[in-house]
Amino acid sequence: MSEYVLMLIFLPLIFAVTVLFNSLRIRNIATYLFVSFLVIISLKLFFTTEIIELNFNHLVHLVFLVLDFILLGYFVYQGVKYKDKLISLFAIVQIALFIVFLQFSSTILSNDIVVDRISRVMLLVINIIGGVIILYSLKYIQSEEFKACKKNLFISILFFFIGVMNLIVTTNNIEIFFLAFEFTTLCSYILIRFRNDELSIQNARKALWMNQIGGIAILLSLLSGIYYYDTIYFDTLIQNINGLFLLPISLLVLAAFVKGASIPFDKWLLGAMVAPTPVSAILHSATMVKIAPYLILKIAPAFSPTISLAVMIFGTFVFMTASLLALGKDFFKEILGLSTIALLALMMSIAALGTPEAINICLILIVFHAISKALLFLQAGVLEKVYHLKYLQDIDYLVSRSKLIVFFIVIGFASLTLPPFGAFIGKFASIELIASLINTNIFYILPLVFILIGSVFLTLLYFKVLTKLIAQDNKVYEKISIDLTYIVTSFILVGLLCFGIYVSYLYNFMTHLEILLATVLILTTFVMLFFVNFKNIKKVSAYNCGEKDTIKLSAYYFEVSDKYKELIFYISLFLIGLIVYMGMI
Amino acid sequence: MFEKYRKKSPWILHYNAGSCNGCDIEILACLSPKYDLERFGVINTGNPKQSDVFLVTGPVTYRSRERLVELYNQMPNPKVVVAVGSCTCTGGVFRGMYNVDDGIDRYIPVDVYIPGCAASPELIMDGVVKGLEILETKQKAGDDK
Amino acid sequence: MEYLQILFAPIFGGLIYGVERVVRARMQNRIGPPILQPFYDMYKLFGKEPFMVNNYHIVFALMHLLTLWIAVGLIILGENFLYVIFIHLLSSIFLVLAGYSVNSTYSHIGSNRELLSIVAYEPILILVAVGFYILNSSFDIDIIRAHSSQISLLFLLFLAFLLVIPIKLKKSPFDAAEAHQEIVGGIEVEFSGVFFEIVYMAKWIEYIFIYSILLLFAGDSFLYGSLLFFGVFLIVNLVDNSTARIKIENLLQITLTLGLLLGIVNLVFIGIGV
Repeated sequence: MSEYVLMLIFLPLIFAVTVLFNSLRIRNIATYLFVSFLVIISLKLFFTTEIIELNFNHLVHLVFLVLDFILLGYFVYQGVKYKDKLISLFAIVQIALFIVFLQFSSTILSNDIVVDRISRVMLLVINIIGGVIILYSLKYIQSEEFKACKKNLFISILFFFIGVMNLIVTTNNIEIFFLAFEFTTLCSYILIRFRNDELSIQNARKALWMNQIGGIAILLSLLSGIYYYDTIYFDTLIQNINGLFLLPISLLVLAAFVKGASIPFDKWLLGAMVAPTPVSAILHSATMVKIAPYLILKIAPAFSPTISLAVMIFGTFVFMTASLLALGKDFFKEILGLSTIALLALMMSIAALGTPEAINICLILIVFHAISKALLFLQAGVLEKVYHLKYLQDIDYLVSRSKLIVFFIVIGFASLTLPPFGAFIGKFASIELIASLINTNIFYILPLVFILIGSVFLTLLYFKVLTKLIAQDNKVYEKISIDLTYIVTSFILVGLLCFGIYVSYLYNFMTHLEILLATVLILTTFVMLFFVNFKNIKKVSAYNCGEKDTIKLSAYYFEVSDKYKELIFYISLFLIGLIVYMGMI
Repeated sequence: MFEKYRKKSPWILHYNAGSCNGCDIEILACLSPKYDLERFGVINTGNPKQSDVFLVTGPVTYRSRERLVELYNQMPNPKVVVAVGSCTCTGGVFRGMYNVDDGIDRYIPVDVYIPGCAASPELIMDGVVKGLEILETKQKAGDDK
Repeated sequence: MEYLQILFAPIFGGLIYGVERVVRARMQNRIGPPILQPFYDMYKLFGKEPFMVNNYHIVFALMHLLTLWIAVGLIILGENFLYVIFIHLLSSIFLVLAGYSVNSTYSHIGSNRELLSIVAYEPILILVAVGFYILNSSFDIDIIRAHSSQISLLFLLFLAFLLVIPIKLKKSPFDAAEAHQEIVGGIEVEFSGVFFEIVYMAKWIEYIFIYSILLLFAGDSFLYGSLLFFGVFLIVNLVDNSTARIKIENLLQITLTLGLLLGIVNLVFIGIGV
C-alpha cells in the first residue's frame, strides 16, 4: 500500500516532464492516460483502511533542503527583478529563519508520511477533480495564443502541482509541509502571471508576498515547536500539547487563514482571477485553498476551548462578510472567488470544533464544495472562450443562446444551497451541531447567527446572478457549438454530484425520506423543464402596461460602502491578532 | 361546466383612455364602503391576464388607442367590455373634436354601455351586473375582433 | 387520518383566506364577499382561456405549489423542523426562478424583492427552530407538539415570529414583494387562467404553513392553540388594515435587526437557564 502513496507523490513529477516535450496528439493522449492512472490509484488507496506510515531516507531530506534554498532564492530574485521590496524582504526573512532552524535538531521523532482517513479523502478530491480540470484545460489552453511549448508548460506545471498537493496532504513532517507550501505558492505565482500582461504580473506579485506571510508563520511555528516541544512532527506535537504553550498551533492557524484567503488576506485570491480559468478552478477553488481547512482539521485535536471558540467566531464572521462583499461584484469569477472564501471560512470554523461529527461535516463540505466550484469555474471558462463574456452586465438572455451552460450554472449554484446536494447537507448538519453545543457554552450563539446570515446572503447572491440568465428573448441567435471536451467534463462533474447524493443516501447523512423527497423534486423539475412542452396554449408577450417597447434587464448590486469595508478589515485583523496572541499566553 | 361561476367572481381591469377622471373617481367610489363592489367578489386587478371585465372610461385619445387594443388582446376569453360614461359611449361633450375618437367601439367590441357624466356608482354597479349576465353566455375560446 | 389532512390542506387554506377577506371588509365597515369566494375564483379561473409566456415559468410555478404542499405535509406528519424550513426555502426559490424566467420588468422586480424578503425572514425562522431545539433537545415536530406549551420561555422568539408573519402572508406593512398597486403583483404578473390558479392556491397553502408553525408554540394544548390562532389572526388583519407599505430596504433593516435581537436575547436566556 505504501507504494501507492509514493506513486501518487512522485509520478506526477515524471508526468510533468513527459508532457513538456511532446507534440499535441501525444500530449493529449498521454494526459488522458496519466489522469486515469492517478484516479485509479487514489481510489484504490481510498478503499484501504489501515494507516500508512513511511519515512524518507536521509538523501531525500537533503534534496528537499537544497530545493528549499533554491526556491527561496528564486523568490528573492523575483523581488529584486520587479523592485518589489515586500517579496524580497519576506523571502530574506524566510531564509534567515530557515538557517536558524537548521541549527537545531529535534529529538522526538516520528514518521514523515502518515496517511489517515482525512488524507485519503483529500487525495481523492485532488486527483479526481484536479484530473477533470486538467482534461478541461487541454482544450482550453489550445484556444489561447501562446507558443506550443508554453502550452505544454501549462499542462506540465498542473501535473507538478498535483504531485505537490499529494505530498502536502500526506506529510507529517512540518518542515516538508513548509517546502510543499512554498512550492504551491510558486505554482500559484507562475500560473497567475501566465498570460504575461501588466495586470497578471501585478496580481501575481501580490499573491506571492501574501502567501509568504503564511510561509513565515509556518517557519516560526517550526521554531517554537522545537523550543517548547522538541519535535517537528504533527502527530507528536498534538500528542504532547500542553495548554499553556500553544504558540505553534496558533501560528499554524494563521498560516491556514492566509492560504484560505480570509478577510485581511483576500486580495490575492480576487486578483488571481485574471489568470486562465483552469488555474482559478484548480488552484483557487478546488484544491490549493483546501489546504486551509485540511490544516485546521489536522491540528484541531490540539486546540484549547478558547482558541477553538475564537477560530469559530472568526471563521463565521469571514463567512458572513465575504458573502456580503460579493453582493456588489460584477465580474463573474470574482463572485465565485468571494463565495469560495466564505465557504472555506465556514469549513475552517467547523473543523475547529474537533469532534468526530465535526470532522465528518467538514470533509463532506470539502468534497462537495470542490465539485460544485469546479463545475462553476468550468462554465465561467466556457463563457469566456466561446461567448467572450466576463462581466455579469454583458450576459443577457443566455438561455436563448445555450441552454446547456445555463443548466450547468443553475445546477452549480443550486448544489451549494439547496437540498439534497452535498454542500447543503454540510450546512444543515453544521447548524444542528452548533445548536446542540449552545447548551454547553452560551457563546456559540454568535457563530450560529453569523452562519445563518451568511448562508442566506449566499442564497441571495447565487440567485440574483440568475436574473440575467434564464429570461428568454425573442431574438434568434446563431448556434455556436461548444466543444465536446467542455461538455463532457462538465457532465462528469454533474455525475459526481449525483453520485454524491447516492452516497449520502447510503451513509445516512440525512434521513432517507429527506434525501429522497428533495431528489425527486429536483429531478422532476429538470425533466419537466427539458422535455415538457405545453401545446395548444396561446403564447403572449409579457405585460408592460400595453406598451410595446423592448426591455433590457439588469441585476441588483449591493455595494458595501468604504467605511464598512475598512471596519470589516480592521475587525478581522484584530481577531486574527487575538488568536495568535492567545497562543502566546 | 364552470359558466355559472363566472358571474360570481368577476375581476376588473380599469383603464382610462383619456377621460377627465370623473368617471374614474366614481368607479373607485364603487369599491369604497358605501357602495361596496367587493360583495360581488369583484377585485380590481391591474393585470389584463387575470381579469374578466374591462372597464374603460374616456373618449379614445391619440396616445391611448394602441394601448387600448393591446390590453384588450392581452385579456383571455371570455371577457366583457363595459364602457363607462358618455364620453366612452359616444364621445360625450367632446364629440367631434380633433383629438378624440368618438367612443371606444371603433376599436373593440363593447358589451354594455353606461351613460352619464359622470356615471353614478349605482348605474355602474347595475351595468357591471348586466355585463356579468352577458359573460355567462360567452364562449371560452371565443371570438376576437 | 393525517394523509386526509394533507390532501385537504388547500381547502382549509382557502377557507381561512375567505374568512380573512370577510374580516377585513367588516373592519372597514363593508359587507365583504361570501366566505366561499376563493373557491368561486378557482372555478372561474378554470373556465378561462389559458395564456403562457414560455414553458419555464409554468413548470417553476407548478414545482413551487408541489414543494409547498409537501412542506405542509411534512409539518403535519411531524418531521424535522429544520428540514421543513429548508424545503420551504426550496419552494420560495422555485417561485423566484419563475419570476426570473419571464422577460418583464415587473416580474424581475418582484423576484428581487422576494429574494430580499427571504433574506429577512429565513434567519428568524431558523432561530425559532433552534429555540425549540434547546428546550426539547430535538428538531422533530412530533416531539415539540408532545410537550406542553413553551410560549412563556420562547416569548421573545414568538414576537420575532410575529414580525415574520406579515412578510410571508404578503400583508402590510411588509408586503413589498407583492405590492399590488406598485408592481402589479410582482411575480404573479404573467400567470393567467389555470396557471394563475396554481399561484393562488400556493397562497392558501402558505397560510396553512404559517399557522401550523404558529400552533407549535402552543404545544399539545388545543385550547391554547385555538386562542393563539384567533388572536394572531385578528392582530395580523388589524395591522394590515391600518398600516401602509414600507420600502423593501426598510423591511430588511427592521426585520433583521429587531428579529435577530429578540432571537439572540431569548436564546441567551434559555441557553443559560437550561
